[in-house]
Amino acid sequence: MTAITESSGPVIVPPLAKSPGYWAGVWRRFKTDKVAVGAGLVVLAIILMAIFADYVAPADPTRSSMLRRLRPIGTPGYPLGADELGRDMLSRLIHGARLSLFMGVVPVFIAFFIGSVIGVAAGFFGGKFNTITMRTVDVFYAFPSVLLAIALSGALGAGITNSLLSLTIVFIPPIARIAESVTTQVRGMDYVEAARASGANALTIIRVHVLGNVLGPIFVYATSLISVSMILASGLSFLGLGTKPPTPEWGLMLNTLRTAIYVQPWVAALPGAAIFITSISFNLLSDGLRSAMDVKG
Amino acid sequence: MSMPQTSTSLVEITNLTVRFRGAQTVHAVNGVSLTLEPGKVLGILGESGSGKSVTLKTLLRLLPESRTDIGGSVRVDGRDVLALNPQDLSDYRGAVTSMIFQDPALALDPVYTVGEQIAEAIVRHEKLSMKAAMARALELLELVRIPSPARRLKAYPHEMSGGMRQRAMIALALAARPKLLLADEPTTALDATVQIQILLLLRQLQRDLDMGMLFVTHDIGVAVEVSDRLAVMYAGQIVETGTVRELIRDPRHPYTKGLLAANLHGAKKGERLEAIPGAPPALTEPPNACSFAPRCKFVQERCRAALPPAVQLGEGRVVRCILAEQALVAAA
Amino acid sequence: MALETHPDRGGPGTPLLQAKTLTKHFPLGGGAVVRAVDGVDFAVMKGETLGVVGESGCGKSTTARVVMQLLPQDKGEMLFDGEIVGGQALTLKEYRRQAQMVFQDSYASLNPRLTIEDSIAFGPTVHGVSKANAILKARDLLQRVGLDPARFAARYPHELSGGQRQRVNIARALALGPRLVILDEAVSALDKSVEAQVLNLLADLREEFGLTYIFISHDLNVVRFISDRVMVMYLGEVVEIGPVEELYGDPRHPYTRALLSAMPSMDPDNRTMEAPLAGDPPNPINPPEGCRFHPRCPHAQTVCAKVKPILATVGDGTRQAACHMQVPGSGHSHAPALEVAA
Repeated sequence: MTAITESSGPVIVPPLAKSPGYWAGVWRRFKTDKVAVGAGLVVLAIILMAIFADYVAPADPTRSSMLRRLRPIGTPGYPLGADELGRDMLSRLIHGARLSLFMGVVPVFIAFFIGSVIGVAAGFFGGKFNTITMRTVDVFYAFPSVLLAIALSGALGAGITNSLLSLTIVFIPPIARIAESVTTQVRGMDYVEAARASGANALTIIRVHVLGNVLGPIFVYATSLISVSMILASGLSFLGLGTKPPTPEWGLMLNTLRTAIYVQPWVAALPGAAIFITSISFNLLSDGLRSAMDVKG
Repeated sequence: MSMPQTSTSLVEITNLTVRFRGAQTVHAVNGVSLTLEPGKVLGILGESGSGKSVTLKTLLRLLPESRTDIGGSVRVDGRDVLALNPQDLSDYRGAVTSMIFQDPALALDPVYTVGEQIAEAIVRHEKLSMKAAMARALELLELVRIPSPARRLKAYPHEMSGGMRQRAMIALALAARPKLLLADEPTTALDATVQIQILLLLRQLQRDLDMGMLFVTHDIGVAVEVSDRLAVMYAGQIVETGTVRELIRDPRHPYTKGLLAANLHGAKKGERLEAIPGAPPALTEPPNACSFAPRCKFVQERCRAALPPAVQLGEGRVVRCILAEQALVAAA
Repeated sequence: MALETHPDRGGPGTPLLQAKTLTKHFPLGGGAVVRAVDGVDFAVMKGETLGVVGESGCGKSTTARVVMQLLPQDKGEMLFDGEIVGGQALTLKEYRRQAQMVFQDSYASLNPRLTIEDSIAFGPTVHGVSKANAILKARDLLQRVGLDPARFAARYPHELSGGQRQRVNIARALALGPRLVILDEAVSALDKSVEAQVLNLLADLREEFGLTYIFISHDLNVVRFISDRVMVMYLGEVVEIGPVEELYGDPRHPYTRALLSAMPSMDPDNRTMEAPLAGDPPNPINPPEGCRFHPRCPHAQTVCAKVKPILATVGDGTRQAACHMQVPGSGHSHAPALEVAA
């Protein structure tokens, strides 16, 4: 068989029109899913709102007024009412989105990287390495996530950084589990065998043939954890283990407003509603992504 | 007509069309007509996507009704299958027509013993006590020649080997003494030495019980072993029918010829195979010309312009090809 | 860097691949062991096609994976053109350039996220060929397997039909310039009309690149068409091996005979009347003592249950069969008489 001879000049590979790839197909299917697109738009709106909170919010979220405590929804100047210290609810909700989103996204994001590394390695190398790694992960997985987060935060002390850290630790095991199971699946595929048969080493195979096929599903799973993370973070703040007043954060707002539940139930419920809407939007978005990615081709 | 004509055929399918709706409509079956006499075996031969299994499933109304459009008429043993109401349909399934599959896992329930499943199928159609039904189940296992049947009656499907599961599924299909047995590639997943056992068993049961059988397969050799007559399907249409002898000895449609050559029976080493080029069409449109024309080496202008004629060469011998028509004209 | 051609070191007399007592067992836990491949000896000569047939559980696919070194053997060794595979003269990575494999499932054997040309180019880049050169080579190979690179090179696997994908898999196997290609049920999942096209292609490529094939299939017609010699396996062992026409025309092992007569007859006037064997092939967990085929063999005698037959040369010396009926003095009443020493 003739060998390829290296030509003297640079090799020119004539470009070919790439056919729309996998992600184009995912996007095409995702577009037709009205619920997922709607959820995506809501998520986008909340993110934009959080980023541009200073411009969007009508008032200073920390400016209190003893005279205007617990105003109902629709009070002039206070479209969503005022909280127990007379601060504008709308502004506080908008500013609170920053920290709530941050606490929802960042721990999941970090856990996504760490969990993927652990899970992909365990899944790909298998054998004893897999057993040891995954059993260790299982120890953490055995605790209910709420308890684990509270215990870790309690041990580390209150504060944003510590709740971030404890939430990250909480999310590594489930992500590692998913990563391990999809990687084990991919590892058994014939194209991975074929790559081994061509003499490629493990790292090359993981880079070229495994990651592209496992990161998508792991990522989708991770997005479904964002809502859990937000709720847990809110819970930690609620228990006084997260954010400190007067910083606006939805969980903390829920906590401080709970005393007003009989006075202004609708206002007191607002932070809860914000958490609910955001987390359900993330979940619907992740569901849509999953079904869009689920089809062969 | 003076008297309502009583048909003697067991199966009479007339101009059947099946269309699946979805993101893309698939015209799976495009005008299939076939008849089966009682006690006879018709082999339906075709490749994947030819519509052979869909045709078979229509006979039991197994296709998802919400997204399937079925046209034409399907009559089995005098019943209009497409018009059966739910009660009549469940009386019909199993008792008049039953089916065996490629994968016994589709027919056998993993959580019940084989005996329980067969007895349950008997009780559903006949007024028998469970005990009597179990006795019948035992007879059925003997009939399909499962070794030590009394013990196997109490076995779960997963405790049986592949060939034995296939026999158990056949016993289950025969539980309510059907007049028509539909076989959907029942031996494709089996090893060669087991396949021939099952084929011989089916042939014998069909003869002994005087059942009609429609046997769908992609394997000509298998079809020849069990069938009296053959129908070759391509792109949702029957392109050629005749007795097994006629089709094997004197195939007329270029596709049938190509399939026979591709079976490699008696092909000599080193010879080039007469391969049919290309691949079957996607069936997103109903055919308005010969579906085989793009792959046919005898293609003429007329083939691309209109549907090919169904040329009657003899009793039950039909070829959908203009070549057959031209040969007929030349001979006359 | 470019991939250079592999010189023929041992000459035409040296088998390209020689497997010596290859053994692969899979422990099941609880002490049970699947004896998937149990002491298999065979040789593949340069330029020939060795067909491998047998039923499920006979070990033909495991043999393929061990030959490809996707599974390490428990016992035995392989010589490739006279060199020990995985030894100093022929490292595993070097061997894998010279031996390649095509799998049955055309979809599962292509990475869905890579374009066709990237999949084919992957192997050469692993061996140091520049990406640009590897892509050019990939397009050239696509042309040779009958796919227009301008139309197909930048497509994804799901956009191709089964037959087209299998052509891509063949091109991928050829990208490293192998001398031996293992085809594990490579045409079995294809429709008959497409299968014939791919078989023609395989015959052409064998000619063009001077390839040696190990062709594994359950379809005896296909094996007869493509093979020079055929190896029949049963429960992890070789029961018969020999030139294709001799073996099909005059099978020496009762199992080979049964396998051949289990083929549908294709003659409507002369249909099969009796199944050659009863029951299913047993599983290779606890194979019978002695000859593994003896519980199903119509000619079994006491010796068959006790003594394991060796793979002995029979007939004109080109064939071997592991059956007591073929070995003089084996103790089987049908065995040829011992030649009396003069």
